[in-house]
Amino acid sequence: MGKNLSAVVAHIAVILAIIITLGLAGAFAQGASAGQGSDRFTGELEEGAVLRILENDTAIKQGYLEELLDAFNAAYAEYGITAVDANMDQYTDLENDGPYGYGPDVLYQANDRIMRYVDGRHIMPLPVDAIDCLDVVGDRAWMAYSATTDGQANIFGVPVNVQGPLLYYRKDLLPENWEEEWDDDKNGVPDMVEYWTDLYRFSKQRKEESGGQEFGYMRSFLEPYFSVGYLYSYGGYTFGNNNTDPSDIGHSAGNAELGGRVIRQLASVMDERCIDDSVTTGAYSALASGEFFATITTPDVYTMFVDEMKADGYSEEYIAENLVTADIPMLPASGDLEDESEGFIECKMMGGVNGYAISSYTDYPNAALAFVNFATSYEMVSRRNELLGIVPARSDVASDVGGLSEVINTNLEEGSIVVMPSIKENAQIWTPLQTFFQDIAKDPYRTAEEYKYDTLEKIKAALVNVDEQIYDAIFTLRG
Amino acid sequence: MQEAQTTKVKNAFSERGRKIAAWFKGLPARTKEKFAFAREILNQGNGKVRASMLLMGMGQLLYRQWAKGILYLLVEIAFLAYFILRGADDLLGFFTLGTVESNAWYGIEGDNSVIMMLMGILAWIALLFYAVLYIANIKDCYAIQCAADTLKAPKSFKKELSELLDKKFYKTALALPIVGVSVFSILPIIFMILIAFTNYGGDIVPPALVDWVWLDNFGRILTLGQFAPTFFKIFGWNIIWAVLSTALNYFAGLGLALLLNKKCVKGKTFWRLFPILAYAVPGFITLIAFKYMFSYGGPINQMIVDAGGTAIGFLDIDAKWTARLIGLFANAWLNIPSSMLLATGILSNMNTDLYEAARVDGASAWKQFVKITLPYVLFATMPVLISQFIANFNNFGIFYFLRGGLYMEGYFLASDTDLLINWLYNMSIDNNYYSIGAAISIIIFIVTSVISLAVYVLSPSYKQEETYQ
Repeated sequence: MGKNLSAVVAHIAVILAIIITLGLAGAFAQGASAGQGSDRFTGELEEGAVLRILENDTAIKQGYLEELLDAFNAAYAEYGITAVDANMDQYTDLENDGPYGYGPDVLYQANDRIMRYVDGRHIMPLPVDAIDCLDVVGDRAWMAYSATTDGQANIFGVPVNVQGPLLYYRKDLLPENWEEEWDDDKNGVPDMVEYWTDLYRFSKQRKEESGGQEFGYMRSFLEPYFSVGYLYSYGGYTFGNNNTDPSDIGHSAGNAELGGRVIRQLASVMDERCIDDSVTTGAYSALASGEFFATITTPDVYTMFVDEMKADGYSEEYIAENLVTADIPMLPASGDLEDESEGFIECKMMGGVNGYAISSYTDYPNAALAFVNFATSYEMVSRRNELLGIVPARSDVASDVGGLSEVINTNLEEGSIVVMPSIKENAQIWTPLQTFFQDIAKDPYRTAEEYKYDTLEKIKAALVNVDEQIYDAIFTLRG
Repeated sequence: MQEAQTTKVKNAFSERGRKIAAWFKGLPARTKEKFAFAREILNQGNGKVRASMLLMGMGQLLYRQWAKGILYLLVEIAFLAYFILRGADDLLGFFTLGTVESNAWYGIEGDNSVIMMLMGILAWIALLFYAVLYIANIKDCYAIQCAADTLKAPKSFKKELSELLDKKFYKTALALPIVGVSVFSILPIIFMILIAFTNYGGDIVPPALVDWVWLDNFGRILTLGQFAPTFFKIFGWNIIWAVLSTALNYFAGLGLALLLNKKCVKGKTFWRLFPILAYAVPGFITLIAFKYMFSYGGPINQMIVDAGGTAIGFLDIDAKWTARLIGLFANAWLNIPSSMLLATGILSNMNTDLYEAARVDGASAWKQFVKITLPYVLFATMPVLISQFIANFNNFGIFYFLRGGLYMEGYFLASDTDLLINWLYNMSIDNNYYSIGAAISIIIFIVTSVISLAVYVLSPSYKQEETYQ
C-alpha cells in the first residue's frame, strides 16, 4: 500500500508544484509589466490608420456622417488615413467593448455618457494645446468635458453642439388683441412667451374657455431633463461643487420647493396627460392641430412640428411665420405663478453638450485627434448646423448663424442652461426625480383631502426624500 | 376535511422524509464501500498499476493496451500543457482576482477580475475532470490487473469502444451534454453565486480590482435598516402575485380549453385562433400596448373623458392595487393561450369511458370535472404548473414595462408593484450593485426551490406516479 500511496501522492505533488510555481510566476510576470506609461499624443500621424467613427443616428440618416468622412478622407489621403463609420449602436458601451477591441476609435455622444468613461480610463485625456477650437468654445461647454484625475485637471472631449430646451408656440393662436391685452411692456413680444405667470394665466383661460379641450402650455413633467430646471431656478442643484461632488445632493437646497410649486400650478392648467408620458410623442400633432398653444422641447425636433403642420394642410410660408421658437419664459421671483410682485428671475433648464472623445483603446491616437479637429472645424460644424439643425458649441459659428443658436450659447454661458452632471453617479438621479415629478404633477388632480403637496413644507420634505433616495442609490450599498 | 388534508400533507412529507433519511443512512456504508475499494487498489495494485498512478496510461501501456494507454497519456499531456500555458495562472487568479489594475492611458493591460473569476472556475472544472479521468485510469488499470491475475484476457480497446455504443451507450450519449452543461450552465451559475461573495459593483467594476468579501453582502442585506422592510413587503406581494397569476392563467386556460372542447361549440378552430394570435405577438409589445391603453392619453381614458368622466390613473403613482390588477390581467392575456393549448392537448387524451361511467352513476358535470378531469389534468401538468409558478414569481417584464421607473416612499429603490426580480434589476443594473443583486438572487433561488419542491412533493404527479402509469 505504501508504495502505491506514494505514487498517488507523488502525482498530486507534481501537479500542485506545477500549479503553484507557474501560477506565482505568472503573477510576478504581470506585476512586472506595470508602469510602462507614455504620452500617446506625439503629433506624428499614424500612416495607414483606419479610424472607426461612432456618430449618432440622426447624423447618419441625414447624410452628415458620409459628408464628414468623405471630406476627412480627401484631406488626409496623403497620409493614407481613412475614417469609416464604426457601424455600431449610437449608445455603444465603450466600457465593455473597448478593452476587447470592439469599440470605436472616436465617439460622438452626450457629455454625461462620455464622461462616465473617465473613471475606468476608457477615453483619453486630450492634449489641450493640440485642440484647434479651444478658444472659440465657451468655458461652460469645456467644463462639461473636464475632470480631475490623479490630481490633474484634464479635458476628455471636444464640444460640438449644445442641447438646451426652447419654447415652441403657435403665433396664429395668440388672442387677436394680444398687443393690447398681453403685451404690458409694449416690447412687441407677447407676455405669455416671456413670463411663466402670463403663460399660466393664458393657459388657464384657454382651458376654461374651451371646456378642457384646448390648452395653453402643455408638456409631460415625467422627464426630469425638462422638469428639474424649475428646482434649479430657485436654488436647487443636482450635485455640489459644480456637479462634481456626488455626496452633496441638493434638489431640496435653497428655495427649490418654490420650483415644485410652479410645477404643481402648471400641472393644474394642463390635464392629466402631464402626469405620464403619453403626451410626449403626441405633442407634435397636438401643437399642429392647435390643441396646444405652446410646449417645450429641444431645437433638433423642429422639423417634426413642421411635418405635422404640413400634414394638417399648412403651407411652408405659413408654418415659417407662425411656428415660433423662443427662449424659455422668466419665472416669478415669488415662486408663485399668480404673484408678480417680486419681479422675475431667469428660468434655468437642464441641458447637455454633445461632443467627440477618443477611445483609450485606439491604435491611432494622433490620427483620431486629427479627425476630431477636422470634425470640429468651422466648416464642418457649420455644415452640421445646416443639415441637422444643431446648436453649435463654437461661438464663431453660433454668432454667424445667429438666432436661437446664439441665445442658447448665451444661456449656457450665463448659467440658464445647467449642463447635465458629467459624473457617473448622474445615472442614479433619474428614477427618484421622475417619481417626484409624477407625484407632484398628479397632486392637482387629487381630491382636496388627498393633496400631498398643498404647502411648501410638504414639497420641501418630498425633495429632501428625493435627495435621500439618490444618496441611498449611490452610497448605501457601496462596500 | 381540514384534518384529512393535514394528514395528507403530513404523510407526503413523512414519506419524502423517510426517503431522504434512508439516503443519508446509506451514505456512510456507500462511502465505506468506496474507501474499501480504494484501499484494495492501493493494497493490491501491482507495479503496473502504480505506474498508472504516477503517469496516466503507463500501466495500460505496460499491459500492452496501446490505444487506451496512449489516450490516457494524451489526457495527461493535454492537462499538463493546459496548466503550464494558462490553467495554473487561472487557478491562482481565482484566489487573488487580480493584482495589477489596468490603465488604458499607459497601455497597462492589467487584470480583469471578472474574467479571472470566470477562467478560474473553468480551471477548477478542468481540474475536476482531470481528477475523474485520473481515478478512471487507475481503476481501469486495476481491472486489467485483475483480469490478468485470473488469466482472463483483458477487454480489447475495440471491445470497450463497442461497449460504449451498446451497454455503456449512456456514457457516450451523456459525455458531450455534460461538457456543454458544465461550460454553458454550471459555469455561469457558479459565477453568479460567487459574485455574491465579492465586492463587485458600485465603484468596483473593471478595470478596478474586485475582492472576495465572503459573507459581507449577506450581512449588509440583513443589517441594513431600509433593506429588510422592503424585502418583506416585496416578498409578500411576490408570493401573492405568483399564486394568483399562476392560478388565474391555469384555470382560465383550462376553462377555455374545456369550453372549446364542447361538442356544441361551432367553429372551434376559428375561436382557438384568437388566443393563439394574442400568444403570437411578442410579450413586450403587448405590454407596451397595455401601458398605452391605460395611460392618461390612452383610448380607455379618452372614452371615459368623452363620456363626461374624469381620467383615471390606472398605472400612475397612486395606483397600487389598480396597477397590480392590470398586471394580473395583462399577464393572463399573455399566458392563458399557452395554458389553453396545454390543456387542449391533455384533454384530447382523456378516456371518454370514464365520463360515460360517471354519467351512468349519475355524477353531475361539476362532479365529473372535480373527480375526473381536474385530477387527471393536474397530474399531467403539475411540473408545468410549477415551472409557470417559478416563471410568474420571476416575471420581470410585466411591471417593468407597465410601471417601471418609480421608487416609492417606504421602499428602498423599488415601487409597490415591483417583484423581487424587478428590485434585483433596480439594484444590480440600474444602480450597479452586482454583488448585492447576486446575493438577493441566491435568496430568491432558495425560496423558489423550497416552494417548488414542497408543491411537487405534495402533488399527485409525485405521490401517485404509479397510479397513472
